Amino acid sequence: MAISTIQEVVFGEDLPTFEPDTSLATTRQFAALVGWGGARFSDHEAARKEGLAGAMVPGILNQGYLVAMIHHWAPNAEIKAIDTVFRAPVIADEKHTISGVVTDVNEADGQVEIDLTVANEKGETRVFGTATVQLPIA
Amino acid sequence: MLLDLHTHSIKSDDGRAKVENYCQWIRSKNLPIDGFVLTEHRQFDAESDYSALAEKFDLCILKASEVETEYGHVLVYGVTPALQAEFDFGSISLPLAKVIAACNAHGAIAVPCHPGRPRVGMFAHTDALGVPAGVEIVEIYNGGSRDQEDQIAIEHASQLGYRGIGGSDSHIVSHVGRCATRFDAEIKSIDDLVLALKTGQFEAVNLKTGD
Repeated sequence: MAISTIQEVVFGEDLPTFEPDTSLATTRQFAALVGWGGARFSDHEAARKEGLAGAMVPGILNQGYLVAMIHHWAPNAEIKAIDTVFRAPVIADEKHTISGVVTDVNEADGQVEIDLTVANEKGETRVFGTATVQLPIA
Repeated sequence: MLLDLHTHSIKSDDGRAKVENYCQWIRSKNLPIDGFVLTEHRQFDAESDYSALAEKFDLCILKASEVETEYGHVLVYGVTPALQAEFDFGSISLPLAKVIAACNAHGAIAVPCHPGRPRVGMFAHTDALGVPAGVEIVEIYNGGSRDQEDQIAIEHASQLGYRGIGGSDSHIVSHVGRCATRFDAEIKSIDDLVLALKTGQFEAVNLKTGD
């Protein structure tokens, strides 16, 4: 169920998980569009030659997926901040899952803090962070 | 008694968790831990007083440090002003031998953390630098471990006769309590913790896997 006001939010509630499109085709297209046409975002073999495990999803695309995940949960939310720590590359063509959970609710000012985690199929955290989200007050 | 021995708050440069929210999370999710130790990066947070939160949530909240050496990152329990005067906690290249000697001189204990991790873990450096003298305990369960990092830590610790602790290495609220350490003794203070670590009555617990 989509959230529309701060009063509907419960401390500790999980946001619906989100499976980002980590396909190499999308990664390559995004990187080219933002001017990052390097091999590390577009070619697995070339990325391996750079010492990576494969081509990786650009960080700002991951941040975009985090925003999309939050808006699936609360379509009218205003995202005040997304703060990410990139622990390990998100490798293209590997399945990842984004999870989020509410860790602070301030009903007076309508703001919510959300923990965000991007994990691979082994359950390893690749990216974590927090978001500050503004919701309407009923 | 179960304590998460490795956590970070917003006092750490990459920490995003408020201590109060850790407490709320532990209680609202009924996590089986009885408290946690804040191990802020490259500093000791002397000024923060979490005693009111500890009382409100009936949790043990202690403070320690995570410093950086040529062998990787090292947790330091039992930090005192005298110990802080011995070396620069903000340095990213402390000699491990100096850290261990200072800890021994001031009643503290140094514990290399995530030792199976590339670059920042002790066992990534032992081939090149040798096995350091004076290490007795390492972190064998780390909540942020990837690949075979914990397994590497467990195997090397076993070979070298080290005892093991567990800690979540949480930087966000929802990651607290993923790994912890079980003590026979009741821990109420950092002195109690150091004593329990030195006397060996503890075991690492991985709450992610149930090990």
